[in-house]
Amino acid sequence: MPKKSVQAFKEFLLEVGGISDFTIRFFREGFKPRYEWAEFGRQCFIIGYKTLPLVGVTAFIMGLVLTVQSRPTLEEFGAESYLPAMVALSVIREIGPVITALICAGKIGSSIGAELGSMKVTEQIDAMEVSGTNPFKYLVVTRVAACTLMLPLLVIIADLISLYAAYIGVNIKDVVSVDLFFSQVFNSLVFGDVLPALIKTYFFGFAIGIIGCYKGYNSMKGTEGVGIAANSAVVVSSLLVFILDLIAVQIAEIMGLT
Amino acid sequence: METILTHHHPKPVDPNATSVVEIKDLYKSFGSNDVLRGFNLNLKKGENLVVLGKSGSGKSVLIKCMVGLLSPDKGIVEVFGKNIPKLDRDELDHIRVKIGFLFQSSALYDSMTVRENLEFPLRRHWISKTREEVDELVLEALDNVGLKDAIDLMPSELSGGMRKRIGLARTLILKPDIILYDEPTTGLDPITSREISNLIVDIQHKYNTSSIIITHDMACAKIVSNRVIILLNGIKFIEGTYDELNNSTDPQIKPFFE
Repeated sequence: MPKKSVQAFKEFLLEVGGISDFTIRFFREGFKPRYEWAEFGRQCFIIGYKTLPLVGVTAFIMGLVLTVQSRPTLEEFGAESYLPAMVALSVIREIGPVITALICAGKIGSSIGAELGSMKVTEQIDAMEVSGTNPFKYLVVTRVAACTLMLPLLVIIADLISLYAAYIGVNIKDVVSVDLFFSQVFNSLVFGDVLPALIKTYFFGFAIGIIGCYKGYNSMKGTEGVGIAANSAVVVSSLLVFILDLIAVQIAEIMGLT
Repeated sequence: METILTHHHPKPVDPNATSVVEIKDLYKSFGSNDVLRGFNLNLKKGENLVVLGKSGSGKSVLIKCMVGLLSPDKGIVEVFGKNIPKLDRDELDHIRVKIGFLFQSSALYDSMTVRENLEFPLRRHWISKTREEVDELVLEALDNVGLKDAIDLMPSELSGGMRKRIGLARTLILKPDIILYDEPTTGLDPITSREISNLIVDIQHKYNTSSIIITHDMACAKIVSNRVIILLNGIKFIEGTYDELNNSTDPQIKPFFE
């Protein structure tokens, strides 16, 4: 094997080890007092509320486009009455959680990576440490917990907005009442569609938070390192979202929830 | 509220004063770079000790070992009789409250106002304080550095000298017994440098603090020092008063004073 590949593989293993260590530290320190409730609340506001407009607009467009694009194919088979059910299943089971998670990976992951990275290179994390505050608890635990809690909420809201957009999309050509549309939507959904999709979003949120914090908290090389931290936080957390999605699908299938 | 008066000379040290910091045989290396190689130091109560050395000679590493930001490879770092590398997190945090640290970059939290920066270490330790008491302490600390008007400014709105002063105010707010200054005048114009140096002396007079001042600014060293140590090749090369070292004919010492 060429030397470069060996080195790259070594670095990959070190990275995996570093992230694992960081995650273990999160669980070790996250449940011990003192709890940083004020900072946790502030992060929930930033991660949840401030991301909502972007998630909302994307979800609306996603629902509308999916409906408009799917109609011709369903019409070909004379199955346009299944449009609400098809859109609902696609959005709730897969597209809603994954697209929302990817948007959050881009917006939240990069902002956490850059913020902690810049705090690291300007010695702000050291300043916190020497003032007797545990920066890991204050900066990392609060952000990861807020991401884990807020992402499912964002996904639920995104799903609802997407379905409303789908209702508008259906009404571009047909006239369907809200009652009829949503009764078709809810009739097509079962427990096994909603619950696994919701549970996996907690893992998506956790992954985005932990990768963003890990990259920022361990950034080096001055201002260049801040850029690298922000960039790699997005890349790694996006990739992790897909990997977790794949694992979630397999688990749901094994458990007979699909 | 008492405002600091300008003193022009450091307060003389009581010859019978106890040692608050004892460093014995300290070793620290980074990879193959041996930074500290058996360094020894002691700091007496109420003393201003200046550590001079070339860039990269390990001055900052030395004070980072004293607050547990870096772990030494070997040696004893005793602060108030406690060996820092052997302390657990809680014991270390307890000691850190008694040690102020002024970072070279000031390390102000840039997402917080000056008021919030100063309140941050207070709220960590004195959670029982009332709003009025916290306000009073913040104003007293700002008054000490002559920047009461900057209370609601963001760090990005401050000049380099102001940032140093606010950093110093944040350090002072916990009324530490020991203050570690990491290149307090670096990057400042000569007038502002002199103001910061005078402030260091004033703080020593007012609070009877013991300080280690890491610098390569000879004007600052002259103003603030009771004693000067020259760190060369990882060891304490020589120590004495500023004037004693200034008059030295040693070819390794002379360049510092030229």
